[in-house]
Amino acid sequence: MTTNSKDMRKTWEKIADYFRAHSIWMKWYCTGCGAIEMPPTMTSRFDMEQLGMGPMATPRQADVLLITGYLSAKTLRRVIYSYEQMQDPKYVVGFGSCTLNGGIYFDSYATMTRLDHYLPVDLYIAGCMPRPEAIMNAFDTLIKMIEKGEAKGWRHYQENHDWYRKNQLHSLKEVYVKDEFHE
Amino acid sequence: MNLMNFVYAFLLLLAAFVFQTTLTGINRKVVARLQRRRGPRFYQQFIDIFKALSKGSTTHGWVFDFGVVMALGGIMATAIFIPFGPLKAVPAMDNIFIIAYVLAVGMLGMAMSASGSGNPWASIGVSRALTNMLAYDIPFMMVVFGLIFAFDTSSLSGLAAIQREGGFLGWHVIRFPLGGIVAMISLQGMLGKKPFDSFIAPAEIASGPMVEYGGRHLGMLFLLHEFSTFIEVSLIVHLFFGGGATVAAFLVKYALIYTFLNIVSNVLPRFKIDQAVTFFYKVPLALAVVQTFLIIVVGMGVA
Amino acid sequence: MTFDILIVLMFLGAVTAYLVSKADLKAGAYATVLFSLGALVLLLLGRGEIGSEFTILFMGFEVTTIGWYFSGVMVLVYAMTAFFNSYWMDKMIYPGSYNFLYLFSLGGTVGLFFAKDLITLFIFWEIVVWSSTFIVPMGKSRRAAVVYYTISTIGSMATLYGIMLLHRISGTLDIQGAFAPLKNDPVLATVIFFIFIMAGLTKIGIFPFHIWLPLAHGSAPHTFSPVLSGGLVKMGAFIAYMSVGILPAYEAFKGSLTVMGIPIQIYALMILGAVSIVLGTLMAIKQDDAKKLIAYSSVANGGYILIGILLMDQLAFAGSMMHLFNHAIASAAAFLAIAVVAHRTGTTKISELGGMIHRMPLTYLTYLIAIISLAGIPPMGGFVSKWLIIQGLADQGLMFMALAAFFGSIGSFLYVFRPLAAVFLGQLAPRHEELASAPLLMKIPMTILMVLILFFGVLPGWILGIIGQIQVAAGIEPVMMSGNSILAVNGVLNTLNVFMVFGFGFLIALVIFMLMQKSRRVGLMDTYTSAEFIYTPELYHYGSAFYAPFERLYARHPSVEDFLMALAYKGHEAGLMVNALFFSHKPGVTVFWITVIVAVVTLGGVGL
Repeated sequence: MTTNSKDMRKTWEKIADYFRAHSIWMKWYCTGCGAIEMPPTMTSRFDMEQLGMGPMATPRQADVLLITGYLSAKTLRRVIYSYEQMQDPKYVVGFGSCTLNGGIYFDSYATMTRLDHYLPVDLYIAGCMPRPEAIMNAFDTLIKMIEKGEAKGWRHYQENHDWYRKNQLHSLKEVYVKDEFHE
Repeated sequence: MNLMNFVYAFLLLLAAFVFQTTLTGINRKVVARLQRRRGPRFYQQFIDIFKALSKGSTTHGWVFDFGVVMALGGIMATAIFIPFGPLKAVPAMDNIFIIAYVLAVGMLGMAMSASGSGNPWASIGVSRALTNMLAYDIPFMMVVFGLIFAFDTSSLSGLAAIQREGGFLGWHVIRFPLGGIVAMISLQGMLGKKPFDSFIAPAEIASGPMVEYGGRHLGMLFLLHEFSTFIEVSLIVHLFFGGGATVAAFLVKYALIYTFLNIVSNVLPRFKIDQAVTFFYKVPLALAVVQTFLIIVVGMGVA
Repeated sequence: MTFDILIVLMFLGAVTAYLVSKADLKAGAYATVLFSLGALVLLLLGRGEIGSEFTILFMGFEVTTIGWYFSGVMVLVYAMTAFFNSYWMDKMIYPGSYNFLYLFSLGGTVGLFFAKDLITLFIFWEIVVWSSTFIVPMGKSRRAAVVYYTISTIGSMATLYGIMLLHRISGTLDIQGAFAPLKNDPVLATVIFFIFIMAGLTKIGIFPFHIWLPLAHGSAPHTFSPVLSGGLVKMGAFIAYMSVGILPAYEAFKGSLTVMGIPIQIYALMILGAVSIVLGTLMAIKQDDAKKLIAYSSVANGGYILIGILLMDQLAFAGSMMHLFNHAIASAAAFLAIAVVAHRTGTTKISELGGMIHRMPLTYLTYLIAIISLAGIPPMGGFVSKWLIIQGLADQGLMFMALAAFFGSIGSFLYVFRPLAAVFLGQLAPRHEELASAPLLMKIPMTILMVLILFFGVLPGWILGIIGQIQVAAGIEPVMMSGNSILAVNGVLNTLNVFMVFGFGFLIALVIFMLMQKSRRVGLMDTYTSAEFIYTPELYHYGSAFYAPFERLYARHPSVEDFLMALAYKGHEAGLMVNALFFSHKPGVTVFWITVIVAVVTLGGVGL
C-alpha cells in the first residue's frame, strides 16, 4: 500500500514531531467573537505556556492557525492567504461552532458554513463559545496528535490541492481569487 | 591560531549555547512566576529552537539566506572572542573594540536579510533597531573608553583581572558606580528588553525584523539571539563585575545579572523609539561623560 | 626620472584625450582610462625613487614617501573611476573638455604632492581647483560649482597669503626651509598655522566649510563624484599634514596653553573635526539623495582624518593615514555603485528606487563591501583604521573627541544602511523589472575595489609599513607590527585571526543552514501583510523618511548654511548699492563720482 509507506515516519521525523508537539506557536485569526476566550487561556488562570504554546506575530513564524469564529467570503480569502504563507508542517484548528457548521449564522448568505471544505482542519473545538477548559483540552489532544504523527492536514492539503482550490474558487468566484492570490 | 584553537572555540560555543539557552528557559519560568503562572519547562527554549530548525521555510532570494548565515556567523565569531570565565579560545583577541565591531557584522547581516525580505515592517524594525543602537552604544562606549584610559588595556580579561586584585570592592561597579549604572541601562538596551524593545514590538510592527522568518531561518535567529545575549551580558560581567576567576563564578554572576535585568524588564512598559533616544542622551550619556571626566581628569577610583 | 615623466605625461595625456574626443567620444574616454592606469603603473614602478628630486620648467619637485602615498591613493581612485567615463559621454555638454579636465586635474594632484616649494604647491593646487570647478557644473547644477569655487577660493587665498607671509619671514619658498623660523616664534606660528591650514580645512570639508561637499558631490557628474569624494578631498589632508607635521606645530606650540595635553591651537581644530563628525553623521542620516548622503559621510570621515593627523602620534596618525586610503577606495566604490544605479535608472533618489539587488547583484556586493568598510566593521579596511584612531584617542584620553568618534561610528551604521535597504533591498518597482546589470567595463573597477577593500582589511601590513615610513620621516614613532598583529599601547589587533574566526563562525552557520530542509522560493510581494492584498510594489516599500523618529529629534537644528546665505545676501545687497551709486543710467552720476574719487585721491596725495 502506498499510503502505508507514506504514513511511516523516519526516525528524525519522529524526533522532530516531538519538538513540534511541545512547542506550538499560534497565529490567531480572530474573525469572530471567539478570540475573547484566548486571553484567559493564556494568562495565569489557565496558562497555556505550560504546554509550550504561545501566540506569534506572523503566519511565517506560526505552526497553528487558529480560526476563532465565523468566516465571511471576505475573511475566508485572507485566511487562505495566511494559511498558504505558513511553513510546513502546519495545523489548523477550527474554534467554535461557526467553523463547524456555521453556528448561529448557519443560514446566512454571506457566511461559510464548513471550514474544512476550504482548509484542512486538524481539530475542531465545538461550543459557542468553547470555554478555556475545552480549549486546553483540545490543545492537549492536538499535542498528542502531532506527537503520534496524526495531524497530517497540511499533507492532505498538498495532495488534494485541486479539490480545495475548486471549493475555494466556487465560493469566492474565480476572477477575484485569481487576482488576489497573485497567480 | 591552529586547529586546536578552533576545536576549543567550537566547544566554548557549544557551552555558551547550552548555558544561555537553559538560562533563557529558566527566566521564562521566572517571568511566569512573576505573573503567577506555572510557566513552561525549563528546557522549553531548546524545544522551540530545534522545532523551528526542523520546519520548512520560505526564502525571498539569496540575500535573505546569505544575511542569516552572515548574521549567525558574525555573532558566533564574536562569541568566540569572549572569554568564558578564565577560558579563552583565541589568545589575545578579547579586545573590547574588536568585539564591539565584530558584533556589528552580525547585526548588519540580520538587518540586510530582514530588509531583503521586501517586507516594510522588517525595514521599520531595522531602522528602529539601528536608532536604538545609536542611543545605547554611545554612553556605554564612553564609559568603556574611560576604563581603557584608566587601566591602559582594552582586553576584557585584562580589565577583569585588574578588578579581582581588590576583591569584591575592586569591582568596577563599586569603584565607578556611575559607569556601572550606565552599563546596566545600556545592557538593557543591547538586549532589547523593555523599555527599549520597540524594534520588535509584535503587536505594532509584527515583530519587526523577524516578520518574514520561519523554519530554519527563524531557528537560526533564535540561536543568534542566544549568542548575542551571551556576548552582551558577558561584556558587562567582565567589565564591571570582575569577570570570573573560575568558570563557576563567571556563570553565577552572569545568571544573576541576566535574571535581574529580565525581572526589571517585565515590570516596565515600552518606550517609543525617540523617547528611548532622548532618555539615553539625557541620563546615561550625561552620567557616562561625568564618569569618564572623573576618571580622565580627576583620576577618581583609578589609583 | 619616473615622476617627471608621470606629471608631464598626464598633461600631455589631457591634451591627447581632448583631441581624441574630438574624433571619437568613446575613444577619448578610453584614453582617460589608459593614461590614468599608466599613471598608476608608473607610480608603482617608481617607488624605488623615493627621495629623488627633479625640476620641470621652473618648478622644483621632491619625491617623499607621504607624497608617493597620497598620489597613490589619488591615482588609484582616478584610474578606477575612469572606467566609468565612457558611459557618460553622451550625457555631458562638453564631453571632450571633461576628458581633458579629468586628466588635467589628475596631473595637478600628482604634482601637488611632490611639490618642493610653496609656489609649485600653490600652482598645482589651483590647477586642481580650477579643472574640477569646470567639471562640477557639467552635472546637475551650476550653483554647486559656484559654491565649490567660492569655498575653495577662501581656502586657497588664505593659503596664498600664508605662503607670502612665510616668504617674507624666512626669505625662501622651499617647503622645509620656509617653516623653519617658526619653531621659536609661537605667535607667528599660530597665525601661519591657522592661515595655512585653511586650504586644507576647506578641501576636507571641515565645519563650517562643509557646505560645498553635498552640493558639489551631489550634483557633479556621476563619474566625477567618486573622484571628488575619494580623491580631491584628501588633498586637504595633505595640507593639514603640512601644517602640523612640517611646521612642526607641536614643537612651535610647546609653551602655549594645553587642553588635555594638546596645545589649544590644535585642540581648537580638533573640535572642528569633532563637530564635522557629528554634523556629517546627522545630516547624512536625513538625506534622501544617495550621493548627498555619501557626501555628508565624507564630511564625517574627513573629521576622523583631521583629528588623526592633528594628533601626530603613533596610533591615531597611522590610523588617519590609513583611513585616508580606506575611505578613498570605499567611498569611491560606494559612489560608483550608485553611479551604476543612476546609469540604469536615471535617478539617485533613495525613495524612488528599491530592489536593485535583483537586477544588479555585483553592484549590490560592491556597495555592501564599501559600506562595511565605511562603517568600520571587520573584516574590511575601514575597521583597522578606525580601530587605530580610537586606540590613539584612548591612549591620550581625549574623551570629547572619542565621544564624537563613537557617535560617528555608530551613526554611520544608520546612514550607510539606508541606501542598502531602500535602494538595493526591498521591493523592486515594476518599471525597473527589465533593467540590465552593470556593463562589463563598470564591473572591472568595482571588482578591483572590492578585492582591495577586503585585502587591506585582512592584511593591512603592507600599507601600515608605508605609513610607518611616513611616520619615521615626520619624526614620530612608527606604528608597530608583529607578524599580522598591530601592536597598540592598549591592545593588539590581529586582523588575520579576526578574519579566520569570522570565517569559522560563518562556516558553522552555513553548515547549520545547509543541514536543514530546503527553503521554498517565494516572490517579494508574498510577504506578511496582515492578510491584506497589496498590488503596488512601489508603495509597499519603506524607503522615504527611513529614520523618521530620530530625524524628528533634530528637525529644527540651527544651520551654518542659513548664516552663510545671509552673508551672501548682504554681500549681494552691498553690490546692488555700489551698482546704484556708481553705475546708474545717468552718465552724469558716474562722472560725478569719478571726479570726486579722483579729487580725493589726488588731494589726499598732495596733502600727505
